Amino acid sequence: MNPQEMKPQREAWYRSKTFKRFRRNPLAIVGSVLLLGFVAVAFFAPAITAPQLAELRTARPCLRDLGIKKDEALSALRNPLNPVFWKATLAPPPTCYEIPRDGYSPLPKPPSEKHPLGVSGGSYDILYGLAWGTRTAFYVGFLVVGISLAIGIVIGGLSGFIGGTVDNLIMRITDVMLSFPGLVFVMIVSVIFGSGLTTVMLALALIRWAGYARFFRGDILRTKAQEFVDAARAIGASPLRVFLKHVFPNAIGTLLILASMDVGSIVLTAAGFSFLGLGAPVGYADWGQMISFARGYILGTAQGTPFDFWYVWIYPSVMLVLFGLAWNLLGDAVRDALDPKS
Amino acid sequence: MLNFIVRRLLQIPVVLFVLSLIIMGLMQLLSPEQRAAAFVTSDKQIENLDLIIEKYHLREGFFVQYKLWAGEVIRGNLGFSRISKEPVLTTIQKRFPASMELALAAFVPIVLVGVWLGTQAATHRDGLLDQVLRVVAIVGWSLPTFVVAIWLVAWVYGGLGWFGIGRLPGSLLIELAGSDFRKYTGLFTVDGLLNGRLDIALEALKRLVLPAAALVIVVSAGIMRVMRSSMLDELGKDYVRTARAKGLAEKTVVYKHARRNALIPVITMAGPMLGRMIGGIVVIELIFNFPGLGEWAAGAALQLDVTTLLAFVMLIGLIMAVANLLVDVAYVVVDPRIRYE
Repeated sequence: MNPQEMKPQREAWYRSKTFKRFRRNPLAIVGSVLLLGFVAVAFFAPAITAPQLAELRTARPCLRDLGIKKDEALSALRNPLNPVFWKATLAPPPTCYEIPRDGYSPLPKPPSEKHPLGVSGGSYDILYGLAWGTRTAFYVGFLVVGISLAIGIVIGGLSGFIGGTVDNLIMRITDVMLSFPGLVFVMIVSVIFGSGLTTVMLALALIRWAGYARFFRGDILRTKAQEFVDAARAIGASPLRVFLKHVFPNAIGTLLILASMDVGSIVLTAAGFSFLGLGAPVGYADWGQMISFARGYILGTAQGTPFDFWYVWIYPSVMLVLFGLAWNLLGDAVRDALDPKS
Repeated sequence: MLNFIVRRLLQIPVVLFVLSLIIMGLMQLLSPEQRAAAFVTSDKQIENLDLIIEKYHLREGFFVQYKLWAGEVIRGNLGFSRISKEPVLTTIQKRFPASMELALAAFVPIVLVGVWLGTQAATHRDGLLDQVLRVVAIVGWSLPTFVVAIWLVAWVYGGLGWFGIGRLPGSLLIELAGSDFRKYTGLFTVDGLLNGRLDIALEALKRLVLPAAALVIVVSAGIMRVMRSSMLDELGKDYVRTARAKGLAEKTVVYKHARRNALIPVITMAGPMLGRMIGGIVVIELIFNFPGLGEWAAGAALQLDVTTLLAFVMLIGLIMAVANLLVDVAYVVVDPRIRYE
């Protein structure tokens, strides 16, 4: 027999039992389809909003930074053969995240041919905000998860690797971080560093690493107790080598998967701050900021005619809830699939 | 037990001390003028910021400043709140009962709904009810508090005209200010009953329904999920089989034997849940025009009122520390095997 064939074959992930359990869960399918929809909207946002970019005068800075004229906008942004299409899709200039406005009227206007989903107070185009807001959502979610995961892995790894007093101290710190309300923490940070989307993202990352650190430490301790680690130590591997080559790669998988499912809840939280006025500035393509336009109409004067301006807040809030739902459905299915008891 | 409680109570000042160190440390990033606001006690003093900076040595190092700040706090001067235009302590005394009333009105239904639905889901495992509740829980968990609050205000209050927003209608508040209505607790529902003013108690209760409902929808989903899984764990254990084998009614097995043990993970979750609830209360007070601490703090964050926020953070720290102590006491109540000696 060829010695090559005797090597244990690594099972392909798509054939694994875990993935099978995941695939057979109808909720997982719903979540995946929803999420694919959001990815598509985010990807094609420039193509979807090409008419608004071409027609509204306040969209000029975006077109200028893309290097096209308003007559070319429609054809360039919807033609995948044009290099501008790829520039707008993959690396749009920051000016494109400003929702273009059609005048300065404080009153919202219902859906029309020019504005398929209407305009909100201040005449901001709602369709534009929703489409580009999807990009903001993914950006915020992935960046916060990325940063907090990096901090969590380093600190949780140190805690699990060194152990003893250091471990004890780190765990007490995470206790405090976990029990302190995140909202209050973000409020302090935005008073000190000034409010803005960046501050909110930073503050969320600084509060969320604690959960990951704890989880990772637990997985490290569990992996450390297994026989292959003892075996590696017995043949004389140094503690650092045992940790980096044997413990770390085996402990990190679950954390990465579970943490990536937190994107949804992070986006919901960040949207809440934009709604309060601590996050994205007025006019930025962000769902929470768009919902805040509705505060004036719903509170106070709304009695009797609350649905006059329904399009101002129903569209962005439904997008937001569906986005959170997609990630949570997926996350729930993943947790179930990873749980050997189910 | 008493020994344990006293020991934990003594720890609370330590927790607050560490918290204040962290926050004062962060505040060193602010300019001396911004920090001077923390020592102002009246509107007039704001005009003389330079004198205050001199007097309190705000251009000096961290330790000098911390000592000064702590000295003021121990003497009971938490500073002057720019946004409520009065000393911080006065505002806290005024607004605390409002938030307290809302928190109490939401807390009881949150626990009852969460525990009850979780038990139902576990006893009907994989049945229709369980599947429905599972989707309900995921949806509830995916709803941001402010979206639920806006939907409720628009649809139930605005569209149907039910309940109301604020704490009491303006006309009643004006009437109360002129009458000899005594504030025993500051909670309008309780004070209304104690003063024999049933109409006030009812009005106040009516206005608590929507904000409390918004909190219940958002927070109880989490409790329900924990309750379901811990209930399933308990129902699979040997003592449950024994109880069934000796012929106990299913009701007794589930509600008397299993549920009590299944509550322990739920109690463990109470801390994070309270955090979520405090965050929710801030947003909800803002949307429902509810004059509580959360609305005040949110305003402070928007207007960069450092003094107010500092006091709010210390208060939240105190509340969380007391809550964690209560959680530990609750363990003993639910599970008498747990001892802290």
